[in-house]
Amino acid sequence: MMTRDDLNALLPFHANGTLEGAELAAVDAALQTDADLRAELAALQAIRATMQSEEMQSPGDLGLARLLRDVEAESAIVPAPVAANDNVVPIARLRIWQIAAAVVLAVGLGLNMLPDAGRAPEMESAMSEDAAPAAEQGFALASGGSADFTVIFAPDATEAAIRALLLEAGVEITGGPSALGLYGLGLLESGRDDAARSILAASEIIDDLQ
Amino acid sequence: MDSDHKFLMTRIAGGDKQALAALYRALERPVYRFIVSRLNDPHEANDILHEVFMDVWRSADRFEGRSKVQTWIFGIAYRKSIDVMRKRGRMDLTDESFDMVDDSPDAVTCLAAGQEADHVRHCLETLKDDHKSAITLAFYQDMTYGEIAEVAGVPEGTIKTRIFHAKKLLLRCLSGRVERGVA
Repeated sequence: MMTRDDLNALLPFHANGTLEGAELAAVDAALQTDADLRAELAALQAIRATMQSEEMQSPGDLGLARLLRDVEAESAIVPAPVAANDNVVPIARLRIWQIAAAVVLAVGLGLNMLPDAGRAPEMESAMSEDAAPAAEQGFALASGGSADFTVIFAPDATEAAIRALLLEAGVEITGGPSALGLYGLGLLESGRDDAARSILAASEIIDDLQ
Repeated sequence: MDSDHKFLMTRIAGGDKQALAALYRALERPVYRFIVSRLNDPHEANDILHEVFMDVWRSADRFEGRSKVQTWIFGIAYRKSIDVMRKRGRMDLTDESFDMVDDSPDAVTCLAAGQEADHVRHCLETLKDDHKSAITLAFYQDMTYGEIAEVAGVPEGTIKTRIFHAKKLLLRCLSGRVERGVA
């Protein structure tokens, strides 16, 4: 036997049409004999109708576009192979690549400093030849030279965008990234401090400039 | 309807973005409405809605099909809304006290014929979050108390209690506004 409180608790579910079975039968029976309960049900039905009739502007297609864009980005776990002339690489990959290059260089240098560490003479020669061009290609700069500026690139900055900015500002990467993602930038011979600073400061791919 | 949603979930679990788009189109409005009703901030609700469907994408393969897809997704929205409210530090809104309370059916029925939307919106906002969520899911989404319990992660009896109190407070608030002649 249901109490009046039980019936009261079920009334909203009678109003929304989800009540069924024995509970529906019990509430219906009570409604037949209880005018207050009927009035309350009418009020609840009116409240429900009012709530459901309220218009609301949802994100709609814009929200869907945002969702699919982010899903697409997240799905790109295995990036497509980079074509020979395609230098657009996210900053996260750039950092990993630079770290990897630095490790390779360090290993190379370390091996060169070890006299005859179980290495054939022709291999020693090859390592020496490999290390020199690597330094010329700029890997040595990323290991930490003097810096005129310290910057943090935006997480979504691409390598192409970074390269374009560095060229425009007349600077090169001289160090980094640090554990915090800091890069040291040094002025090229043709660069000017104030001009470079203003270009870097105005760039959207620089999150922080010191 | 739910079998359609479950079919879409299976496809989403397999990485089908079009299925995700279809599910989004089917449920975006009610989920968004629910989030807005809880947060009362359309912009923040946009972000939460986005996060909810990102979670759907990421965890579709963990959906076991024991509940309705809609219930499962509302559960995600419910928990994310709670996180936002915790960050805001406003988990427990105090109920408005009504100095001219009249919850007689006559007064309530009169109100139902009046400026319903404004009154209902106002009175919903005076409810505690748990009460508001229960009423919102019952009246906006027409959920059973079992489904609401699943969304909120509480026993069915708790939902019945919340609904009981929410209804009482809602009717009192509405009656009070009628008595006071609030426009």
